[in-house]
Amino acid sequence: MRVVLVRPWTDARSGGGCCGAEVRDGVCFDGRVDSGAPTDVHAHARRNADTDADVRLVAETYLRLQQELPGVDVQIVGVDNTAYLLPTVFRALRARYGVVVAVRGLNRATTAGAVLVDGEFVGHLTTLGVDSAIAEIRVRCLVR
Amino acid sequence: MPAVAVAVVVGVLFFLGYRYYSTYLAERIYGLDPAFVTPAHEFKDGVDFVPTNKHVVFGHHFTSVAGAAPIVGPAIAVFWGWGPALAWIVLGTIFAAGVHDFGSLAVSLRHKAKNIGTIAQDVVSRRARTLFLMIIFFLLTLVNAVFAVVIANLFVANPGAVIPIVVEIPLAMFIGQYIYKTRSAALIPSLIGVVGLYLLIWVGQQYPVELDTVAGALGMEPRTLWVILLFAYTFVASRLPVWMLLQPRDYINSHQLFIALGVIALGMLVGWNTIVAPVVNDVPEDSPSIFPFLFITIACGAISGFHSLVSSGTTAKQIDKETDARYVGYMGAVGEGSLATGAVLATTAGVVATRGEWDELYPDFATASGGAVGSFVNGVGAFANNLGVPLDLAVIFAAVVVISFAATTMDTGVRLQRYIVQEIAELAGWHKLARNLTLAGVVAVVVPMAMALLPGGGEQGYTFGVLWQLFGTTNQLTAGLALSVVAVWVAKMNRNIIPIVIPLVFLLVMTTWALIVNLKNFILDDQWVLAPLDAIIFVLAMWLVVEAAMALRGTSGSRTPDSSDQPVDDGSDVPGRR
Repeated sequence: MRVVLVRPWTDARSGGGCCGAEVRDGVCFDGRVDSGAPTDVHAHARRNADTDADVRLVAETYLRLQQELPGVDVQIVGVDNTAYLLPTVFRALRARYGVVVAVRGLNRATTAGAVLVDGEFVGHLTTLGVDSAIAEIRVRCLVR
Repeated sequence: MPAVAVAVVVGVLFFLGYRYYSTYLAERIYGLDPAFVTPAHEFKDGVDFVPTNKHVVFGHHFTSVAGAAPIVGPAIAVFWGWGPALAWIVLGTIFAAGVHDFGSLAVSLRHKAKNIGTIAQDVVSRRARTLFLMIIFFLLTLVNAVFAVVIANLFVANPGAVIPIVVEIPLAMFIGQYIYKTRSAALIPSLIGVVGLYLLIWVGQQYPVELDTVAGALGMEPRTLWVILLFAYTFVASRLPVWMLLQPRDYINSHQLFIALGVIALGMLVGWNTIVAPVVNDVPEDSPSIFPFLFITIACGAISGFHSLVSSGTTAKQIDKETDARYVGYMGAVGEGSLATGAVLATTAGVVATRGEWDELYPDFATASGGAVGSFVNGVGAFANNLGVPLDLAVIFAAVVVISFAATTMDTGVRLQRYIVQEIAELAGWHKLARNLTLAGVVAVVVPMAMALLPGGGEQGYTFGVLWQLFGTTNQLTAGLALSVVAVWVAKMNRNIIPIVIPLVFLLVMTTWALIVNLKNFILDDQWVLAPLDAIIFVLAMWLVVEAAMALRGTSGSRTPDSSDQPVDDGSDVPGRR
């Protein structure tokens, strides 16, 4: 069983390709960009209030799922990672529901902040909240 | 020869490289250990450090390394013939880029997912940090300059592409805001964005935008005005949060990447285009020689130092098992090599039907390099035409794809350059510059804009290919620095460093050779902008050679007696095993 947490929209990590990817972690030195310390000259580019809240939500859900449901495979995937999301979700849904449902499911799978269980859209993390999301995932685990 | 046959042969060679050489690297050189606790596990926080399925990581890594840069170099380099260009792409990808990308990832995994600059400071010398920042500064300066020129040239040559590209900006921002505010799925809105973009191609064709009148009134060339406008735009765009413009536009671009790859492959298959360019071109006597310039012209696509910035510090934080580094790192290089192969085929098989027509596009180096991106655009347009798209629309489609990628590269390039300016300012103690975003942004924009606009080389400005070669040189130096770090790390493990040292020495020889030849030419031609720049980069190259040699020499006394199974690094950065 695989749970996918799709990164929130504000936690964007997109890249522009060779010699243009947004690789601030690749060029900034430790002690500033990573620390968030007062001397963090890149803090403006790294996070804002929305981002912080959304990122914490995903992080908390992820870490709790690892603790509470240790047998479940949990992945955090960027919303822009369609090369992974689309074929994976399509294969998972087609096996259980057929092609039509699988195609319909593709769009929902690309919802930023989505919680997916074996390709199936469970809800939006910011709407569900951490506790409800975990409860919902737990129910799906029991069903399967 | 049919282009499809060449593509199949290259594909087989890449497969063999991945299947056998990357396995050799993983087992015998980097000593990957499936039980090693990767930084993603050691520092797991659900934010940056997340153990992730290798296919997920590859999806992210590939979209971060595949872009416009592997198009331009090969499109210029076929000037020497498609045989040498393709040979360097294939051999470079298998024996240099694969070693470099994979090695950067592996060494970062053994150093808490730190970036190459930080690791260089730790394992090479403290001076290496300054060297790293200097090389990246010039790399980004030249990236931004060459892509501004690429876009400006394409706008001048394809005025029909202006409306789609300009409207794509608010379109992407609107889609991004819609997805963000309504929390709706991204796929259909972004696909609508792609369709909207392609409908705008028709509008653009009907209403081409040319700046000749405005530029004439301002007393400048249209290309110059486009370059100024582009940098003004990137200054503003680089200040926006990533999720506001860059992410939605990149999302649209990711669809375009797959569409363009599909068009090239299918169009080539349906049209069964044959390569009309010569295998080895009999170039005019005053042309740059194939050695060393081919190896500087094709950087991205054969080996790109920029990939080490993606591998280390970013991708390394998500690797679940150390053994996954082979798939993610090496295959990323193969993916970029495949794009470069597509560029070679588009400019030798797609763009024209006869050898005579090809010779008109590539008569001398200045014409070839100035028109290279246009040749690629026309080649892809011809492939799309094979699929039934009217040729004039197909060409604008290809121009839109290339400009979209190039514009995103500029957006991020200026943003990264601002970080580097801030880092250098911190290092130098210029705290006002380090903390003043506007000032740092102005520096990040003005320096590459000056490079793109400064006069020289006659009425048409200096040869684009020369600027591109300087960019290739700095990219190869970045790769050289990363390979030096990897070599020192491998040497400390008492493993065979030959697979790393060979591409390292080859790159350093080619870059320094090219820098010396260019420096002589710039001085003889009174190119007093390019000559000092070349000289500075040459000094950096020499500095790198000295640092690499000293670091490798220093490892001879510190090697572990028996490290065939357990990699050991410089001391404090070896987490436990699982």
